Amino acid sequence: MANLKTEQSVKVHTLPINKMTLWERLKKDRFLYVLLLPGIIYFALFKYLPMWGTLMAFKDYSPFLGFWASDWVGLEHFKNFFSNPDFFRLLRNTLILALYDIVFFFPAPIILSLLINEIRITIYKRSIQTFVYVPHFMSWVIIASISYVFLTTSGGVINEVVSFFTGKEISFLSSPEWFRPVIIGQVIWKETGWGTVIFLAALASVSPEQYEAAIVDGAGRFRRMWHVTLPALKSTIIILLILRLGNFLDQGFQQIYLMTNSLNREVADVFDTYVYFMGITQGAFSYSAAVGLFKAVVGIILIYGTNYFAKKIGEEGLF
Amino acid sequence: MNRKSLMKLWGMPLLFVVLLIGCSDEETGSDDGNTSGDNPYNISIMTTAHTPEPPTDDSPALQALEEYTNTDLDITFVPNSNYEERFNITLASGELPHILLAADKSPSFIGAVEDGAFWDLTDYVGEYENLSQMNDIVVNNSSIDGKIYGIYRARPLGRMAVTIRQDWLNNLNLETPETIDDFYNVLKAFSEDDPDGNGQDDTTGMIVSEYDGPWDIMQTWFGVPNKWGEDEEGNLQPHFMTDEYREALDFFKKLYDEELVNEDFAVMDSGKWHDAFIDGKAGVIVDVADAAARNRNKMVESDPSMEDAVDVFGAVEGPNGLFNLPTTGYSGLFAISKTAVKTEEELKKVLEFLDKLNTEEGQTLATNGVEGLHYEIEDGEYVMTTDQEKLYEFQDLNQLLMFIPEDRFLVEKQTELDMKEKEVIAANEDIAVANPAEPLISEVYSQRGQQLDNIIKDARIKYIVGQIDEQGLDEAETLWKTSGGDEYIEEINKLYEEIQ
Amino acid sequence: MHKMHNTPAGRVFDVFNHLFLLLIAIGTFIPFVYVIAGSFATEAELARRAFFLIPENITLDAYKYIFSTNTFIRSIGVSIFVTIAGTIVSLALSLTMAYPLSRKGLTGRTLLLNLVIFTMVFNGGMIPTYMIVKSLGLLDSLWALILPVAINPFYLIIIKSFFQNMPDELEEAAKIDGCSEIGIFWRIILPLSKPVIATFTLFYAVFYWNDFFNALLYISDSSKWPVQLLLQQLVMIANVDFGNMDTLLSEPPEESLKMAVIVVATIPILVFYPFLQKHFAKGVLLGSVKG
Repeated sequence: MANLKTEQSVKVHTLPINKMTLWERLKKDRFLYVLLLPGIIYFALFKYLPMWGTLMAFKDYSPFLGFWASDWVGLEHFKNFFSNPDFFRLLRNTLILALYDIVFFFPAPIILSLLINEIRITIYKRSIQTFVYVPHFMSWVIIASISYVFLTTSGGVINEVVSFFTGKEISFLSSPEWFRPVIIGQVIWKETGWGTVIFLAALASVSPEQYEAAIVDGAGRFRRMWHVTLPALKSTIIILLILRLGNFLDQGFQQIYLMTNSLNREVADVFDTYVYFMGITQGAFSYSAAVGLFKAVVGIILIYGTNYFAKKIGEEGLF
Repeated sequence: MNRKSLMKLWGMPLLFVVLLIGCSDEETGSDDGNTSGDNPYNISIMTTAHTPEPPTDDSPALQALEEYTNTDLDITFVPNSNYEERFNITLASGELPHILLAADKSPSFIGAVEDGAFWDLTDYVGEYENLSQMNDIVVNNSSIDGKIYGIYRARPLGRMAVTIRQDWLNNLNLETPETIDDFYNVLKAFSEDDPDGNGQDDTTGMIVSEYDGPWDIMQTWFGVPNKWGEDEEGNLQPHFMTDEYREALDFFKKLYDEELVNEDFAVMDSGKWHDAFIDGKAGVIVDVADAAARNRNKMVESDPSMEDAVDVFGAVEGPNGLFNLPTTGYSGLFAISKTAVKTEEELKKVLEFLDKLNTEEGQTLATNGVEGLHYEIEDGEYVMTTDQEKLYEFQDLNQLLMFIPEDRFLVEKQTELDMKEKEVIAANEDIAVANPAEPLISEVYSQRGQQLDNIIKDARIKYIVGQIDEQGLDEAETLWKTSGGDEYIEEINKLYEEIQ
Repeated sequence: MHKMHNTPAGRVFDVFNHLFLLLIAIGTFIPFVYVIAGSFATEAELARRAFFLIPENITLDAYKYIFSTNTFIRSIGVSIFVTIAGTIVSLALSLTMAYPLSRKGLTGRTLLLNLVIFTMVFNGGMIPTYMIVKSLGLLDSLWALILPVAINPFYLIIIKSFFQNMPDELEEAAKIDGCSEIGIFWRIILPLSKPVIATFTLFYAVFYWNDFFNALLYISDSSKWPVQLLLQQLVMIANVDFGNMDTLLSEPPEESLKMAVIVVATIPILVFYPFLQKHFAKGVLLGSVKG
């Protein structure tokens, strides 16, 4: 079969792609372009047509006057943003939280998927999957409220346990050094189960034969996980990581806002909460467009940078 | 949506391209407003909604209101939770309704006012029976640089009050506190003298959450100005630069050090704030007057003997007199758009309508609905329907009301505590400390305000819990000044002079 | 899934793995049990007990309030429509666009991919999008909740990479069998992509079900409000800042109501998951190449 296939495929591609004229190439793939068309219309209409909104960052946009009648202010909003005395504190807090997120949260769904994949009792496996994905549907308001109940120093369950063993209580909610662990802990609790969905789909493409072959080779459980399961996830992991980096500077505004208080604000203020408060007193449009543009530029650099790196090490990357 | 229209949607082809060409029924909201005398006058309004189902055109209450005001109303109810977004979008769309509710003096509202979107009503309101009776403090608060660009929706100025366990006072043979010292003694006794008589040390004097309103209210008792106050030379200075402020902070610190407030207040989820009071673990809450009856009702739910356990009072007297922190006195402003209301003649029609909503009949129709349908009068008492469908027919109409000069609708039979709350609110108005800078629009504040406020708020909390000392407060003040505070003071004083 | 001999070390691992995952499942699910329990509890109990799994006095008041009018049922109907129609539209658009983009020889592919990636980080924002929706005449139409968000570029890229990972031999083999391009996509690629389709059915369905913000912007007619916006109305009243005085006009809803609202909004989408689950487990891909 292998031989036949090669002969046939030579016939199908009578000319090497790069020798065809543009028109021939378009014509050959005309069906594919028809498939693309609705998507292209969508992106043109709902993504690119509104793109003028990003230019608000260079204007003093007033909704009532409209875009054209509002004054151009050039880089003023960017100057205000970068010269803000709090800029470096905001940048530091945002970056540290983003790094925590990548280091501690990003691998969590992968590990959980690997563990779930090792369960062989179908009903048990499916039940576990269902339970772990429930927190995704809880609102941050409820999660903040439950966190308070568990973590407060006035009779919180976790602090009761901590003080039973150490004799001391920990101010999880008020001390700056606990702010980031609490935030990341909440994210891990809420989103890990949800994050496994996509990896479990990727694992569906691993054929049983691959495991069988590994067993024939005498591979134990961990080696099978390492040599069969994990490689099957690799390209998905890399794609998700690159995409995540595109939103590197975005943080869950509502979560952080709810967990911030007077005693931990110095580490809790991030770009997203800052923009929200600026919006309250200043009218969000132009200023938040400027901050958004800044975050987007950072994001696009990270996307292309990691994509380049991924290709360097022989991975597929985004395109 | 009924089944039929759902079917119609289902029947629609899912093809994207077809959709783009198809289904474009233009908004038919354009109304030139027929100005002839007898025909109902068309008025479009955008306001907030608090219920899941605001009244529609079929609502008998809305129809009765239209008949009474001789108007044909086209009301867009927007969920209160995200009103600001819709407000901005409406401004941007260029299709403003006749009457647009501005939720507050937000930057985009002020910007639109500066760009000439709304009528200046300052010289008109005097001609109307009810609108001419607006409260001076609230007019001042809601004005923009001294001018009226919207009719405020009145809310009680003197709403801030103290809720207290009356039965605990009785158990300990204590009187309702009248001075700050009394207040301290009561908290001390509530914390230490077993006010509930259960033999256990399981009560706290006062409960506070991460919402810092109670500290604002209590510092006012000491004579601290409401955000800004005049110094000896008549210049405005920020409240935290006064001696009274430091005095108040020392008092708060004492309360915290002696464990008369909950130890975790700085992080307490504000959603759980009142729980300890309802549960009988704390005896005092400094919040709003209406919290008293609300908490009492929840306590009665599990223990009917709690009927008289809760009392409410306005403020306690400090070394400098009796003061209370007022609210701004309004919730939202009805602005009249120049694009929809083009002539003075039309403007007067719209103002007439707004004025009429303040009459007894207008307020009753919009708050209580239609007699016989939405309520009955039994033995002279107002009894509201319990049918939720019927309630939805009129409930959100109260979002149209301004309650000027006063509430004139029907209320259900009042309990003693309800009436006490009203007395307290009324009495508080006489001791309200107004913010002289409320009508001023500061450029510096719009850019740095949130950061400036946080510096002061955070320092206050840190001082109370003992993370910083007097010197730390001084440092925070210096930081405030160098972060834009000095310019802010200068600007506010300049603006203040201009409107004097 | 894979039946295989187990070493003693593997068996020890199995025991710990099962127990560990059980603990995780309990840890993730218990707070939801608290929310369910709280929705049946009285206000007094919610004030007194910080955390519980079984209420002492069970009351149905919160649910009675939610179901007291047909408003709630109607909004569920709206949400179901938007979720089903939206998921179909989104999947159709995403799959048809992702497939050509996964074909490496396609002229213009890199340009298009770059344009898609660009929209993941740059966007025009709320007001310009509103203007488009308005000029298309979609205001107050349920399609306004679907069309402006029909393709999620993240999902598009991930679907594309799934397609790309399918072995090339598949297509070559199909071409030999005389399949046209449309035949390859319809008869070979899609049937083999069941796990991917199941995944993104779930993602899009959950997105449409949870979305309330677009309804807030585009739908004025309250009879077309989806359930999340309705629930937002019920819950947000309790979360207003204390400075906002409109709590005076409408009593804040009770704590139990807030919880009941979460329960009724979450259960429908939660029970949807097990139906999709069986499609995740089909390791058909490589096998079919051999056949």
